[in-house]
Amino acid sequence: MKLTRRNFIQASAGSGGLLMLGMPVAAQPVTNAMALRKGKPAAAAKGEWVSTACQGCTQWCAIQIFVQDGRAVRVRGNPASKTNHGYVCPRGHLIPQQTYDPDRIKVPMKRTNAQKGRGIDPKFVPISWDEALDIVADKMMELRKNNEAHKLAYIRGRYSPTSTDLLYGTVPKIFGTTNYFSHSAICAEAEKMGPGLTQGFFGYRDYDLANTQCLVTWGTDPLASNREVPNTIHRFGEILARGTVIAVDPRLSNSAAKAHEWLPIKPGTDGALAGAIAHVLLTQGLWNKEFVGDFKDGKNLFVAGKTVDEAAFVEKETSGLVKWWNLELKDRTPAWAEKETLIPAAQTIRVARAMGKAAPKVAVWMGPGVAMNPRGTYAAMAVHALNGLVGSIDVEGGTLQSSSVPVGKFPSADAYVDDIAKAASKHKKIDGRGAKDMPAMMGAKPGSGVVTNNIANGMLKDPGAVKVLISTWSNFNFSCTDPSRWDKALTAVPFFVHLVTNASEMTQFADIVLPATHNTSEGFSIVTNMGNLHGYATIQQPVGKRLWDVKQEETEVVWLLAEKLKAKGFPNLFDYYASFKDPENGKTPTNEREFTEIAAKISSAPMWMPKEPLKGDKIEGWADFRKKGMYSGAKYSFKKGWGGRFNTATKKFEFFSETLKKGLTEHATKHQTTTDDILNVSGYVARGELAFVPHYEPPKRHGSVSEYPFTFIDYKSRLNREGRSQNLPWYQEFKKVDPGDVAWDDVLKMNPADGAKLKLKSGDTVRVTSMAGSIVTKLKLWEGVRPGTVAKCYGQGHWAYGRVAAKDYAKATPRGGNNNEILVDDYDRLSGATARNGGFTGVKIQKA
Amino acid sequence: MARLGMVIDLRRCVGCGNCALACKAENNTRTRAGGQSFNWADFIIKTEGKFPKVTQTVIPVSCNHCTDAPCVKACPVTPKAMYKTPEGITLHDNALCIGCRSCQMACPYSQVELTDASLSGETYSVISFNAREGDAQPQWTSTSVMLAGITSSAAETAKAAGAATPAMNQFEAGDVQPIRKAGIVEKCTFCYHRTSNGLQPACVEACPAKARIFGDQDDPNSEIAKVLKAEKSFRLQEKKGTKPNVHYVGKYSARV
Repeated sequence: MKLTRRNFIQASAGSGGLLMLGMPVAAQPVTNAMALRKGKPAAAAKGEWVSTACQGCTQWCAIQIFVQDGRAVRVRGNPASKTNHGYVCPRGHLIPQQTYDPDRIKVPMKRTNAQKGRGIDPKFVPISWDEALDIVADKMMELRKNNEAHKLAYIRGRYSPTSTDLLYGTVPKIFGTTNYFSHSAICAEAEKMGPGLTQGFFGYRDYDLANTQCLVTWGTDPLASNREVPNTIHRFGEILARGTVIAVDPRLSNSAAKAHEWLPIKPGTDGALAGAIAHVLLTQGLWNKEFVGDFKDGKNLFVAGKTVDEAAFVEKETSGLVKWWNLELKDRTPAWAEKETLIPAAQTIRVARAMGKAAPKVAVWMGPGVAMNPRGTYAAMAVHALNGLVGSIDVEGGTLQSSSVPVGKFPSADAYVDDIAKAASKHKKIDGRGAKDMPAMMGAKPGSGVVTNNIANGMLKDPGAVKVLISTWSNFNFSCTDPSRWDKALTAVPFFVHLVTNASEMTQFADIVLPATHNTSEGFSIVTNMGNLHGYATIQQPVGKRLWDVKQEETEVVWLLAEKLKAKGFPNLFDYYASFKDPENGKTPTNEREFTEIAAKISSAPMWMPKEPLKGDKIEGWADFRKKGMYSGAKYSFKKGWGGRFNTATKKFEFFSETLKKGLTEHATKHQTTTDDILNVSGYVARGELAFVPHYEPPKRHGSVSEYPFTFIDYKSRLNREGRSQNLPWYQEFKKVDPGDVAWDDVLKMNPADGAKLKLKSGDTVRVTSMAGSIVTKLKLWEGVRPGTVAKCYGQGHWAYGRVAAKDYAKATPRGGNNNEILVDDYDRLSGATARNGGFTGVKIQKA
Repeated sequence: MARLGMVIDLRRCVGCGNCALACKAENNTRTRAGGQSFNWADFIIKTEGKFPKVTQTVIPVSCNHCTDAPCVKACPVTPKAMYKTPEGITLHDNALCIGCRSCQMACPYSQVELTDASLSGETYSVISFNAREGDAQPQWTSTSVMLAGITSSAAETAKAAGAATPAMNQFEAGDVQPIRKAGIVEKCTFCYHRTSNGLQPACVEACPAKARIFGDQDDPNSEIAKVLKAEKSFRLQEKKGTKPNVHYVGKYSARV
């Protein structure tokens, strides 16, 4: 008898489950060789690619989503993109799952349990938008009536760089509060101090990877995170083939796995390694003469241990090289550095030579691992200064400043700012910026940088300071170090409104929750960024039908809230928004949807109806812009800062930072003290002039080595859509694409030698304890970390958010452990950035 | 007659996962359950050596579309559910499959039931089996809700979106349905619905590193033929004699 599906199933049914599997071999039907026949005709899915913007990381890629019958199906980079070449990184592929996450909040909700705290059920009940916004507007009006407008605080999480001006940029200003904050300082702000204090560029760098001969990924894994991931993935193989790739990272990252050289540096000693590389570049005459200059008589006087006469060297585009040598570098031999960094001197020399040989086509790609630690500003300066030494600043194959595109500004709001709002400016911000021990001198201006993680401390110190808190697309009770402080601070806030997609950890403390659009697939805005030598703007627009009663927080919600405030006697915000004019036809908005579209048109108009022809892409009007989805500007022009045009105090690339000296002196003067005193109270070890050159500061460590023997390494997953993708099955399924990680799990990686000493094995459940707190997670013994260090990826450990992210949402039981629970609340105080790297937290590991 | 195949350049590959994710999106493969990964594209991941001389290697894997395919030989039905197309694709006719799993047992690249070792990339299966009982997409038929009246159930989401799975890629089925039914096996088709119409497989199209080359190995002008001629290549479990049509060139780590 021929075996067919029908008779097999009949037989199976008859015999109560006759399955081939498990049957003795002899009983199996005889099979024969290859069957060859044509496949039945089939065809690819029919649908439309709609342009939008990914906001899964800070690159904000121009992408397209394949839409079939109003459903978001598949994702690719925008084929027109000169930055991502039409590719997304793995984050992009998670967008449909995130859009259709069943655990998303689909209607506004209200807390009915007055008691707040972690693990306490808020007893949320659904309410209408009308009721929810009435409650919020009433609370806000109460503040205005009581002359307490400044007790409104707004903290933004992920935002659109244009629409943010409608909420972050407008609501506090018109309503009357100085307490508005960005999430930025928990991300990578300290990184900006490297290029900022040397070349006056406080921003994220671009790299000419198409022409780089030597790529140094340092404290970052750009194949996975940081910036321009698709472009880096696209170029990495070519760089490996034609040049040298060097990875400095305490754990075996993706870049480290593939690189020619892996330098598994002892966490927090990056400044020592950078100093030693600089020492080798100088003593071996490998610096770039075109950028840096040379000795007058051509003879290299940089000899280990010996000071050099400043007059002997003539600099070109730089300033302070010999000062830097004399103050810091002359003793930074590779042998000295080996003791600090645990990197063999021979490897440091080899790496320095490779960089010198490739100069100036070198990209020293410095990331948060270098900078986001309590003394990170100086490490960031030290590592970035290597770009100066090899002359890679602003040249082909090198390290570049950013590119931008012309963006339309919203009308001025000044006319709508009343006396109450004006009076708000005399109040101090609660994040402590500018305090004696918190210079937060972003842009070299003291007190100008946000200190996001310190907001919780400010609220705890002054419990009456914030009466109404509004926050959007944020989750500080998960994403900030030592989040227990945020639990306490938010428990004490009388009224908290959260605008989010999911019931996150922070949401558990909310009084009103307003369900936000998932903006990548449902929002409407203009998103700008740059990468691969091009600035760009991409549209973000709805790609399918919106399934639930959700609204876009920065446009639709502010309009509706402004309407409510007007009805209750405060018309200014609404009147401001209602004054917006469509750049094409002058129409003013009559509802939240029209307002959203007009705002997007205002932001993008200079690119599709330019006054003068632009050098970048040609766009034929608004409809064409929506269809193409993006505008790329002209290619970066090199040597932007050369010829005395750097934005520093000396207009040169500063190895001795007059820029820092000026800013820090200003801060010290304000506090009627010395710069040394400021450095002391801010936790830095340098004194005198050393504080103004890139130099090594030994890592600050919370917890003694005797009590907390392991140094903890935190890093990011290539699947993290910030902290929001852990509720997606595909995130869990492919967690193993993070080196050393395990799917559907959260593992602490420990060197097998340490495991043997502690009698621990892979799969053991362990408790990881620091001075800040403890988590329980799985152990994995792995050779990709140095003995004495343990590494764990950030992302898992949600005790809320959804039923995949949390082990048990109802019981607030986490899946794995959140690294932030054990990371100590500390700062790089010169930038205001939160410490999370550089081995600043010691931990002990016990079997749980 | 074409002889379709794929080359994966391990030097270009960065192990990012795009191929596997794009495959899941294109082919609507369900979430891991019952020892079945349903990952038509997956990875072998190895860490070797001792710190600091340690390397990590990632090898993307999928059905090798073997010329002497053991799965086809093992398929007991007439006509065979698992068969070879003239282009060299190992294709599976969902309608003929009896779910006996002989193919899965015969395939040297598959496990009948994956253990936890697959969660860290030590093992994998290129053929997965949809259990006879229950739904083929259980993730999207669940009616449980996290917050009553506030969040939705998976089934409600799918219904609101208007498809069996909200993000379903509704391609026009030939032998392989966009969503497989219970009681049959499933595996990579070299994206037959795409490649039979001149498109690239989803994994190839999505690879930012351009690590994958798909084409006709018998056409001397094709990129794949040129690369195979120019570079040293290898195939997985060569000694089994299955003549895989997925080849690898280059080394994942510059340090080995």
